[in-house]
Amino acid sequence: MVNQQSAFTVTAAPFWHSGRTLTGDMYRLLLVLLPAALLGMYRFGYDALTVLALAGLTAVATEALVQRPMRQTPSAHDFTALADGILFAFMLPATAPWWIVVVGSATTIILGRMVFGGYGGSPVCAPAVGWCVLTVSWPAYMDLNGMLLAWDLVEPLSDLKYFGAESVAHITPGSLLLGEHLGALGASQSGLVLLAGIALLAMGRVRWHIPVSYLAGVFGTALIYWLIDPQLYAPPLFHILAGTTIFTAFFLLPYPSAAPVFRIPMLLFGLLAGALTILIRVYGIYPDGAPFAVLLANLCTPLLDLIQPKPFGGR
Amino acid sequence: MGSVASEFTKGLWKEIPPFRLVLGLCPTLAVTTSAENGLGMGAAVIFVLALSNVLISLVRSIIPKKVRIACFIAIAASLVVAVEMLMQAFAYPLYQQLGIFVPLIVVNCIILGRAEAFAAKNPPHLALADGLGMGIGFTLSLTFLGSLREIFGAGTWFGHSLFGPNYHPFSFLVQAPGAFVCLGIILAGMNFLSIWQAKRKGLELDPNFDAGCKGCMACKKMDEIAAQKRLERLGAKA
Repeated sequence: MVNQQSAFTVTAAPFWHSGRTLTGDMYRLLLVLLPAALLGMYRFGYDALTVLALAGLTAVATEALVQRPMRQTPSAHDFTALADGILFAFMLPATAPWWIVVVGSATTIILGRMVFGGYGGSPVCAPAVGWCVLTVSWPAYMDLNGMLLAWDLVEPLSDLKYFGAESVAHITPGSLLLGEHLGALGASQSGLVLLAGIALLAMGRVRWHIPVSYLAGVFGTALIYWLIDPQLYAPPLFHILAGTTIFTAFFLLPYPSAAPVFRIPMLLFGLLAGALTILIRVYGIYPDGAPFAVLLANLCTPLLDLIQPKPFGGR
Repeated sequence: MGSVASEFTKGLWKEIPPFRLVLGLCPTLAVTTSAENGLGMGAAVIFVLALSNVLISLVRSIIPKKVRIACFIAIAASLVVAVEMLMQAFAYPLYQQLGIFVPLIVVNCIILGRAEAFAAKNPPHLALADGLGMGIGFTLSLTFLGSLREIFGAGTWFGHSLFGPNYHPFSFLVQAPGAFVCLGIILAGMNFLSIWQAKRKGLELDPNFDAGCKGCMACKKMDEIAAQKRLERLGAKA
């Protein structure tokens, strides 16, 4: 009988370490996100820098504080907390008040990670948890249009929600890609986030299945709505480039420990999250529902992972 | 069989219904958006639980074993209808707030659980003590959970503003997911407390409170299923 003990007992030598470490992964993640963060700071000014710094700092401090009573070895040096805090900050409006950033970042770490035992133990995507708790609690302070009134641009998804598809008809994919619109601090810089995601793919840190199937799910579902009534629903490319879709595809959905690990489950997981994103955007009360879709899809992960490949020689 | 006092007090802490027995979670999660709702729901449950325990205990020798559940439900249902009408007459706003959850007391796990586990086996005075203790424990838990959610989620307690106009309420807590999060944190706190108490007294830990591998055993179950499947496959091969 196979039990936990023998499954993890390693026997035959010799071994070779792949060289991949958690710290290294987090370095790469933060590094590829840097250009998008810089563009966010350029667009939204020092406010964006404050939000990013505060979220990162709070995340690391919260983890350290919670790890003490849990009798865990402090793990601030592996940058997982910092990465979670930064990922969370990427979805905030740049002018978010300081207390909302602190509460959200602490929620990300405590409710998203530490209650499940820490990084690698959480069945849900931690930054999405932080975002969802804030959006449900203080919708007015998370409203991208309302918080960024000082800028002349508009937030495409809010416009789509409240004024219909005609109001976003003039927005070209190119301007969305360059981030020439209001949006979340870092996640709305779609072009740079896309490049960052492709860099992660190229480095082999993320497998292609989840991002590609997620984008396909978003595209397919949006296409169905668009074909039904192009006057009422936005074109599929708009849904992919607006809001946090691309950020979700590459950084939230493949969150380790919250995503399936086998090929077919990964594809189904991405498609499910993509379809849910569009459904929430079309019927939900919030303009952007990508993080909600991530959490819902995360709940299906254990079930999806039951679809396992057959072992060689098995029947 | 314990004394009246011990049957009464066990419901207050040792077997406090939602936090220790983890029974009656549907109203616990759904109506505790404010302390007042929790208290009102608890009062209704005290009434039904104490009376149903006494009635069931009185007729316990004449109920046939095979139809006992139906009999318990009939008794609880008549009492719930009485509570519902009393609430409509004397506390109509509360009745509107609680809505469907008052009629749902009929199928509340605590009512059936205490009837089956206690009242059907014990004399009426002990059943009354048990019902009152459990009901008061349930009320205290609901009021506590409701207070917690109302204070942080709305900034008020029993309708009185606590933090002034500058407080931005953490409204996540008064919505449905907040109930689950609050309850989970309280359950974790209860377990932490019992582990700490057991350690201080130098007692063996109750295996049910072991949060590690011993308490769950899910992996062992999975292994058993896998082994069984493998055997089936071998059987099919042969």
